[in-house]
Amino acid sequence: MAVAATKSENRPRLGTRTTAVFRRLFSVPEVGVLIPLIAFALIFYLVNPTFLSPANITTMLRAVAYIGIIAIGMTFLLITGAFDLSVGATAGLCAIVCSYAMVNLSWPIPLAVLAGVLTGALVGLVNGFVVLKLGVPAFITTLGMLNIAKGITYLISKGYTIYPLPEPVGVFGEAEPFGTSWAVVIFVLMAIAAAFVATRTSYGRKLYVVGGNPEVARLAGINPARIQLSGFVLVSVCAGIAGMLLMSRIATGQPTIGLGWELNVIAGVVIGGVSLFGGSGSVVGAVIGLLIMQVVTSGLVISNVDPYWQTVAIGLIMIVAVAIDILRRKSKSAA
Amino acid sequence: MTHLLEMADITKRFPGIVALNDVSFAVQAGTIHGLVGENGAGKSTLMKILSGTYPAGTYEGAIRLHGKTLHLHTAADALEQGIGIVPQETSVIDQLTVAENVVVGKWLQPGGLLVSQSAIRHTVRNFLEEYDITLDPAISVSRLTTAQKQLVMIARALYRKPSVLILDEPTSSLAIDEIERLFASLNVLRQKGVTTVFITHKLTEIFELTDRTTVLRDGEVAGEFDRSEYDQALIIAAMVGRRIENLYPTRHSPIGADEVLRVAHLTVPHPTIANRNIVEDVSFSLRRGEILGLAGLVGSGRSETVNAIIGRTAYSGTISVFGQSVSIRSPADAKRAGIALVTEDRKRDGFLPNLEIRPNTTLHSLPQVTRRGLMDVSAERRLATEAVARFNIKAQSIEQMVVSLSGGNQQKVILAKVLMDNPQILFLDEPTKGIDIGAKNEIYKLMLDLVAQGISIIMISSELPELLAMCDRFVVLAEGKVADEFLRLDADEHRVMLAATRARSQITQAAHASASELTA
Repeated sequence: MAVAATKSENRPRLGTRTTAVFRRLFSVPEVGVLIPLIAFALIFYLVNPTFLSPANITTMLRAVAYIGIIAIGMTFLLITGAFDLSVGATAGLCAIVCSYAMVNLSWPIPLAVLAGVLTGALVGLVNGFVVLKLGVPAFITTLGMLNIAKGITYLISKGYTIYPLPEPVGVFGEAEPFGTSWAVVIFVLMAIAAAFVATRTSYGRKLYVVGGNPEVARLAGINPARIQLSGFVLVSVCAGIAGMLLMSRIATGQPTIGLGWELNVIAGVVIGGVSLFGGSGSVVGAVIGLLIMQVVTSGLVISNVDPYWQTVAIGLIMIVAVAIDILRRKSKSAA
Repeated sequence: MTHLLEMADITKRFPGIVALNDVSFAVQAGTIHGLVGENGAGKSTLMKILSGTYPAGTYEGAIRLHGKTLHLHTAADALEQGIGIVPQETSVIDQLTVAENVVVGKWLQPGGLLVSQSAIRHTVRNFLEEYDITLDPAISVSRLTTAQKQLVMIARALYRKPSVLILDEPTSSLAIDEIERLFASLNVLRQKGVTTVFITHKLTEIFELTDRTTVLRDGEVAGEFDRSEYDQALIIAAMVGRRIENLYPTRHSPIGADEVLRVAHLTVPHPTIANRNIVEDVSFSLRRGEILGLAGLVGSGRSETVNAIIGRTAYSGTISVFGQSVSIRSPADAKRAGIALVTEDRKRDGFLPNLEIRPNTTLHSLPQVTRRGLMDVSAERRLATEAVARFNIKAQSIEQMVVSLSGGNQQKVILAKVLMDNPQILFLDEPTKGIDIGAKNEIYKLMLDLVAQGISIIMISSELPELLAMCDRFVVLAEGKVADEFLRLDADEHRVMLAATRARSQITQAAHASASELTA
């Protein structure tokens, strides 16, 4: 009988050793999304070699930067187990507040930018308060906030574009540091900082613990509401920064800034393996997810596919990505 | 000798592991057949084969019912062919009535087109009477106790007129008195000719209920016993494969004189019912190095008491730690006061399933592994490695997911997590629930180590023998009130049960008295 026991205990170890390298490689979530990114890039390169030209890569990075900045905040918020649909409208609101302060109130630029950032923080605080204190589901709260922020944007601007913005704003938006734009530089710096915070600080660890199981977090002496509130504020501030960066790029305060961004942000982050249920995901994965989306949209344009197919493709990729994620989870828990 | 149900030479392989190896057993008609074994012995794999969850062809061997070989492909198949399985987890629909829960999936009367509530209620009433099951078909299931919900599930399986009824650990969430009522029902069913397979890991249940028992160990049949041959030592030896000497280790360290915790007039409001308390005016104290047993039936307020002291729920009353009154409003406050809790349900709020062993063990001690907000990765690895060694956690590495560990090892990870923060007062709520005997023994030894170091423990357990063996003093709760308190010297199973149930009958009597006063 003792022989039987040792036999069955040893077998799985022998089996895993041979495939351990592969299994470990694929259990790193970032690898799972890196493969489709490379695959898509290769396919579009074969269709049209200009796809991987430096000019096109720069264009793609510029396009992804605004949504990318918001995605960093969204990744943190999703990891804590909450989410925010109002980021697009918040981006628009912050851009309009900033433009209005500069043009109609003649505030100095730094003060106007600060007003935009604080507007974002305020939106995040309100979202967090309603979700965490009043217990209204995040879906409803932030959907409501989407409409409120959009409405206020139009109330401030009366539906018109605010211009002309002070000259330095346009100059900043047109500048091409490192051959790209300030938005790309800010995005990359923020991504690096966020990846570090998520993996190497106790705040980062708390994000995962709260999202993984708020009750376990509470027992560990962590206040889950406080951590989630920080996520709400962070993502709204990121939205404000992104909105104002686009404002400076187009050198006008357009009330349509940020329209529909929320879905692209969430799609990209989820493609990158960040769980909608909280507790898992990474900044690196989210960035790769966004890049996949950008590669597919740009690739379809460059391959002369009807542009309406772009959104169909994004939708498909998002569903497939989540399906793969769920399958991977299942096989992990079965093992 | 003919058998009703036969499992013949069943072998089930998973990649790299043989879960069942040549398992055969046979069930005689009209008996209750016990299937006993430790966690991981292969009981649930066998059940999944019998219920069609693992379809025919994915295993070797044959299932025969009435001498006819069955080929089961889905769970619905198994039901159709006469195998009625009651799974371990209660799966009732709280919003529906008992009758609807019983017929669920078989809504229509023969020849009917529309669902008729009254017809369903009528049929179910007759059916319940036929089997002597005392449940009101019209009542909403949300108002039933766990034991009654278990009965609803049994009724649901019986309603399909199965040839054999299979109960998978039906008592795991029941209190002692509820178990007795369930057993009475099962005895009635046996008299009515129902054949039952009763799966459990508790020996006492085997002795009390079954006619014959098959013991599984490591996926093989380790023994078969007829009722006339039942012997505790023999069956344990078959289950464990070795004799466990001193399952309950003996305490040698002395109990300190000073009081580390005093709880006075603790009252906790009922979570769902207004104007009712789930814990009422409970007072007790805990001395240094003492193990205090909180006894009582499920629902008597044991867990609610410790959860309130730890700050998970609101309460009134005073708590003093080391002679000083403390205000505990959240688990963070309790942590600062040196109090820690190992929760009752480790899957629900014990560990983080999507993280590895390493971050799980250091969860309560983040300050120990951070320097100015930054994680000290090497310190964390060192602490986690030490914890795995100290608590004898069987894992491939500290980077293994906790969810992939066995129940006993998961529990050790939780203990490691809680103890890394060096609490002085430890609450253990059902610390050995659902883990194998070996791991239980290790946890008992750990408890004695802790009290020898001067840590004080409050232990809650539904397994009375374990509680009686491990604790130095007992507080028995009934209906949220302290019903009795005594030292180990005066403790026995009878006294605990008497206190735990007496209060209940007194309270019902009082309620009856006041009701009759009203009518008079």
